[in-house]
Amino acid sequence: MAKLIHLTVNDSEYDVAVEPNETLVDVLRYRLGLTGTKKGCGLGDCGSCTVIMDGNTVNSCLVLAVQAHQRQITTIEGLETGGGLHPVQKAFIEHGAIQCGFCSSGMILSAKNLLDKNPKPTEVEIRSALSGNLCRCTGYQKIVEAVKSVGQVAGSR
Amino acid sequence: MLLPRFDFDEPATVAEACQVLSEFGTRAKVIAGGTDLMVNMKKNLVLPERLVSIARIPELKKLDSSSTMLRLGPCLTIANTAASEEIGKRWGALCTGAKTLGSPLVRNRATVGGNLGAARPAADMPPPLMAYGARVVLIKKSGERIVPLDHFFRGPGLTEIAPDEILAEIQVDAPPPYSGAGYMNLGLRSSCDCNVVNVASFITLEGPRGPIKNARIVMGCVGPTPLRAPSAEKVLIGENPSETLFARAADAVVACVPGAASMDCTPIDDFRGSSEYKRDMVKVLIRRTLLAALKEAIKD
Repeated sequence: MAKLIHLTVNDSEYDVAVEPNETLVDVLRYRLGLTGTKKGCGLGDCGSCTVIMDGNTVNSCLVLAVQAHQRQITTIEGLETGGGLHPVQKAFIEHGAIQCGFCSSGMILSAKNLLDKNPKPTEVEIRSALSGNLCRCTGYQKIVEAVKSVGQVAGSR
Repeated sequence: MLLPRFDFDEPATVAEACQVLSEFGTRAKVIAGGTDLMVNMKKNLVLPERLVSIARIPELKKLDSSSTMLRLGPCLTIANTAASEEIGKRWGALCTGAKTLGSPLVRNRATVGGNLGAARPAADMPPPLMAYGARVVLIKKSGERIVPLDHFFRGPGLTEIAPDEILAEIQVDAPPPYSGAGYMNLGLRSSCDCNVVNVASFITLEGPRGPIKNARIVMGCVGPTPLRAPSAEKVLIGENPSETLFARAADAVVACVPGAASMDCTPIDDFRGSSEYKRDMVKVLIRRTLLAALKEAIKD
């Protein structure tokens, strides 16, 4: 039995009729066409499905769409603005922190969420904040350096 | 991975939720954060006809502390538990356990009640909660009952919660003066893995130098449920705390007297480690958590 849900995604309002067994990641990708959020393990281990929901990073593969009703969601598509790429996105590119790019959406959102709450994180805090996002390509070093570089710039968002 | 089909209810009150469960019983499952349930449903291990979400019932997310008791709603997230200064001040081992559960992403959705209800032997919240002597309040349409956590777990994935009941509150008494607790888990990774062994210890001293008047040690991953360690606790009561004493208590847990009753713990060989390794590690973690508990107890 379909339910009508209301989502605010990247500051846009959406009304979607969903089945109870649809996950948030499926609604974002297949109903709203926002394919920046990826599906990896589907079990909450890899973090490629990371989105920010009501200010916290979550595995969208484990959130039922009906549970996201009336919540504010930020996907990777929401980071770039008219002013250009988000500082975290720019840092990832500049530091070579992206290879295949599959983990990048989740990594960047987790990093942005960390910096929003802790503008100057230590390396330990960075690694801990990203510990729910797995990368098979980079070995994490350049990702950590990219996040550190954003943290060191005072007043960055 | 597709989820099976189900109907979805989102009651606004505990009473409404109890009403639905009284009608549907075992055909319904309660969901809050869903970080455990959704995984099991995707693997087709659990196939409820109906999901009853209690995630939006405000009183179930509460965090109330008084001078005598901590009362947690089952839907309090693990992340909020870990970050709570109130909990950290007097029930620090709960924060330690919460900080090591899953990953930051999982912690933002996972709940204390869910970690108890899932009843995995390796779970992070049961040992420290049991070490503090916690109780749960189970509510159904016709009334409520209080179950100490020591009697709550029946086996892997099995608890005292009846099909028409909801775990509505977790109660933890304020520790007496000169008390302390510690929690440690051993795993291959610091995030996103299943514990190999985990232990929580709680002691209360008569005064700033001892002796120990009360002790609770809880071991996870070495039996079908989290287990108390009565042999170790017996060694500690009435004695002055010391590293040697703690080592003796740890040894008592795995001491095997030929022909006598079984040991306190029964770890199995599995891909995470051999039973011999887990027995050795349980001793190490008991010693270390007792030392951490003592450090907190004498700080008073």
